[in-house]
Amino acid sequence: MAEENFCIILDQVGKTVETPEGKLDILINISFQVRFQEAVVIKGASGSGKTTLLGLMAGLDQPSSGDISLLGKGMATRNEEQRSAIRAGKVGFVFQSFHLLQGATALQNVMLPLELSGSDQAFELAQTSLEKVGLAPKTHTPVEHLSGGEQQRVAIARAYAPRPSILFADEPTGNLDAVTGHQIADLMFDLRDELGTTLVLVTHENELLERGDRQILLESGRLISQ
Amino acid sequence: MKIRRATIHSYWLMFVATVITVSIVTSSQLITGRIGLLLDRQASELLAADLVVLSTEPLDDRYREAAQDHRLEVSQSLSLRTAIFVDDSPQLVELKAVDESYPLRGRLERARQVTETKSTSEQGPVRGEVWLDSKLAQLLGGNLDLGDRQFVASWLLTYEPDRGGTIFNLAPRVLMNLADLADTGLVVPGSRVQYRMMFAGEQADVTVFKNWLTNNLVPGEEIQDLENARPEMRRALERTRKFFSFAIVLTLVIAMAAIAITARYTSIQEMPKVAMLRAFGVSKRKLLVYYLRQLGLLWFSATLAGGVIGWLSQFPLQWALDGWFGRSLPQIIGIGPFLTAALVGLLALSGFSLPFLLNAMATPPMQVLRTVVDRRSWFRGLMISASAIVAVFLVLMLLMQSSLLAMATLMLILVCALLLPVILGLMVKTLLLSSRRHFWLRQYLLSRLRASSRGAIYVMSGFSLVLIAILLIAVVKDELLGAWQAQLPEDVPNYFMVNIRSDDVVEINEFLKQRQIEASAPYALIRARLAQINGVRVEDIKFDHPRAPHQIIHTFNISYAEALPDQNKIVSGEWINDSGDAQISVESGVAERLGLSLGDELTFSVGSSVMKGPVTSIRSVVWENFKPNFYLMTNAGLVQDLPQTWLLSATIGEQNKADLKQLLKRFPSVTLLDITEMMARVQSLVDKASFALQFFFLFALASAAIVLLAAIQTGRHEREVESSLLRALGARSRQLYRVHILEFTLMGTLIGFFSAAIATLAGWAISVYFFNIEYQFSVMVWVYSVVSASLVLTIAGTLVSRRVYNVSPMKILRS
Repeated sequence: MAEENFCIILDQVGKTVETPEGKLDILINISFQVRFQEAVVIKGASGSGKTTLLGLMAGLDQPSSGDISLLGKGMATRNEEQRSAIRAGKVGFVFQSFHLLQGATALQNVMLPLELSGSDQAFELAQTSLEKVGLAPKTHTPVEHLSGGEQQRVAIARAYAPRPSILFADEPTGNLDAVTGHQIADLMFDLRDELGTTLVLVTHENELLERGDRQILLESGRLISQ
Repeated sequence: MKIRRATIHSYWLMFVATVITVSIVTSSQLITGRIGLLLDRQASELLAADLVVLSTEPLDDRYREAAQDHRLEVSQSLSLRTAIFVDDSPQLVELKAVDESYPLRGRLERARQVTETKSTSEQGPVRGEVWLDSKLAQLLGGNLDLGDRQFVASWLLTYEPDRGGTIFNLAPRVLMNLADLADTGLVVPGSRVQYRMMFAGEQADVTVFKNWLTNNLVPGEEIQDLENARPEMRRALERTRKFFSFAIVLTLVIAMAAIAITARYTSIQEMPKVAMLRAFGVSKRKLLVYYLRQLGLLWFSATLAGGVIGWLSQFPLQWALDGWFGRSLPQIIGIGPFLTAALVGLLALSGFSLPFLLNAMATPPMQVLRTVVDRRSWFRGLMISASAIVAVFLVLMLLMQSSLLAMATLMLILVCALLLPVILGLMVKTLLLSSRRHFWLRQYLLSRLRASSRGAIYVMSGFSLVLIAILLIAVVKDELLGAWQAQLPEDVPNYFMVNIRSDDVVEINEFLKQRQIEASAPYALIRARLAQINGVRVEDIKFDHPRAPHQIIHTFNISYAEALPDQNKIVSGEWINDSGDAQISVESGVAERLGLSLGDELTFSVGSSVMKGPVTSIRSVVWENFKPNFYLMTNAGLVQDLPQTWLLSATIGEQNKADLKQLLKRFPSVTLLDITEMMARVQSLVDKASFALQFFFLFALASAAIVLLAAIQTGRHEREVESSLLRALGARSRQLYRVHILEFTLMGTLIGFFSAAIATLAGWAISVYFFNIEYQFSVMVWVYSVVSASLVLTIAGTLVSRRVYNVSPMKILRS
């Protein structure tokens, strides 16, 4: 299949870190591709390297070996500033702990990445995005006054607002109860269907694992199956 | 000790804050203790006797007879100010004439030359000789003219027991034999002379004689014994102590704020550890023991370090204060100051940090599962506040030794501490109201300041408190000095001529006119004692004001003039009119001390005459303007026939200095006061006081630095996580850099404005209510405050948190 059909390509990617005990390989020779609009779920035991892999795929970190292409651009040799420019507006994130700005309202949290990427429609786009996640009535509520489920909705609205090509999610339902987790999963996949976003998820939740188009299994830093 | 830049350990900051607190207290206790010790040591010598009677009129000889009947030794002295000539320039001196028995207690010290070894002497000069202060050393060995007589300047007088410190003596001493005084012609009716009769003997005899004396004194005579020796010195000492207390308390507030902020930071850092230990089943009791041991160790080591620093820091202060009280400050032997400092350190540390750590201990074990910081309950918040208030109160009580003063200071600190977060919060909220359509960058910055989880407002409040204290110490002091100088008119005369006899007024005026010396109109001085108020003897009146007794034994100089003197203001009533009726105008301070109001009938005794009249006006007077000022003024008709001397001020240039010698030869009773020298002396005292104050300012700055470090460290983790998030969301380095710089600048500007406003208000209150001078509003206070706060915060914040700008976005996935 031609390379332009893939939004992410990993080629022999490895990640090694220095520890007091010596070098530690976190990821070893990982190679796979993610197609546009695909929903890929990464699973594995604790310490298997899932979060590191997600970070590398999103361009948050550099691999120690191999190469990664994100949206057609090689990431291995680019510095953080250049990778940041590639991410801006094209990549969204949803985190387990929501990571919203305390002291800011739901609307302001959603506007933030839009404004950082220079959008002059930040206000309107953020409002629309919040409506989509069902939080229109709480637009001006400071996020610390929202429930866990509502905070994760704000995070999803923030992630989808710039209409990103890819959305990376790290255990998005990990801090939520089963019912709320289910609602959040629905929301993420519905929006992905509606907007045609590629979804890369790290999760332990069976429901999310089953809803992915493909599962990538890691074990001790090695790719076991995909 | 190695401090890692990224993570300065919270205990280390708390340790430094406690060291500073202990240093401040040790240093201040040592220095005030040494001043006190000097006074105690000198107490027995201060009088050169066991008991003294003072008066401005010659003392009755029956006192001498009665004292001898009580088996007491008696000595007499007399002192007055006069002028001598040194290199053809007039020099004001304090002339003291003593008899052969002087001193009854203590010894005189003298030397042949400044460089020669001192020797002690049981007696003063023999007839025909004078002893001189070291300032007049160039006259030693020669002849000295005093009035109509010439004397041999035989010795340098290096120590005299009953002389106060140089702070109270503007003129150098000349000591002579009492038997020679009459020949000089210096004492004329109306001269400002102080007569002293001194008594010494067995304690029991002194006590019995004192009782007899108390019942036989006439108005205007005053008894001094070891308990009330040198009241002016004690008052000056009290003023000095208050002055230092003001600086010390403000500096201590800053240091304690540093402990509070670092303790809060420590508690935040300890929460995850506590949660983990609690989850593993460690009991609260064990945790308490653990933390008490930690705090105990911290207190002990901080007390040792602070004690050493405090002990060392007394030396520069000693240099600043040496000479104020006549002698070098004695060394303190004992551990009192160190114990007090240790106790203050313990109170501050336990009052501020223990509740925070107890709060940390209340961290639910669930926190190991959830990263959300548990919000402290109202009760725990209340406990923390109550404990801090009690600690501050106890520290203030310990240092001020007055519950009223401690309570007033505590109230002031509380009002500030309560108002600061509210007002700063409102300022941020008001700024937040504008433009909801854009978040980045302004609204984002404001939301960061508002974020309660970071406690930014409290940190800002702490820093504000520090800045207010620093502004009050550093800037308001200059404002007060500036205001005082601004009140000095351009044409300040450089000489006062006092003790002019009525017969000489016209001649002296003529003398000055011939030599084209500019002089003021002469003012008459009628020396009078207040005898009755509304027909009641002053001795029978119970005054509320503590200084009233001093006031009623004071001999007033009453004057008269047609026009209200320059820089006098009528507070109530009307200025003296030419109706010819008896009218008295009273200075507002005297009116307050004696509880006088308009219409009160005052009776004065002037020699053997009596003068009376109603209070028709109350005036405020600017005493610092170096112009002739009077407590009491009246209409000429009432007093012009009474015995009086005259006073005038003159501006005498270099070219006329030689004329002064001639003037004093012709009019030996006239005393010249060199105002320029007095002003220079006042200025030098202010400079020394400023130095001492600035020394404490160094402690304040060190505390401020700790507050700043703790404040920045407290929010560092959140900043890193947030920067990482912004990076993940696509923010560039320069955007992060800008946001941090702007955040610190905005914080600094808000703090600067707010602190300047409070400092201006406090400066105004202090000027008007404590120093009685008009406050000069200064834009510079605002400029200093805003520029320094924003610069310091921006530079320090940028340096300390520069790692934040380069934080990896991966941190957000791992946090």
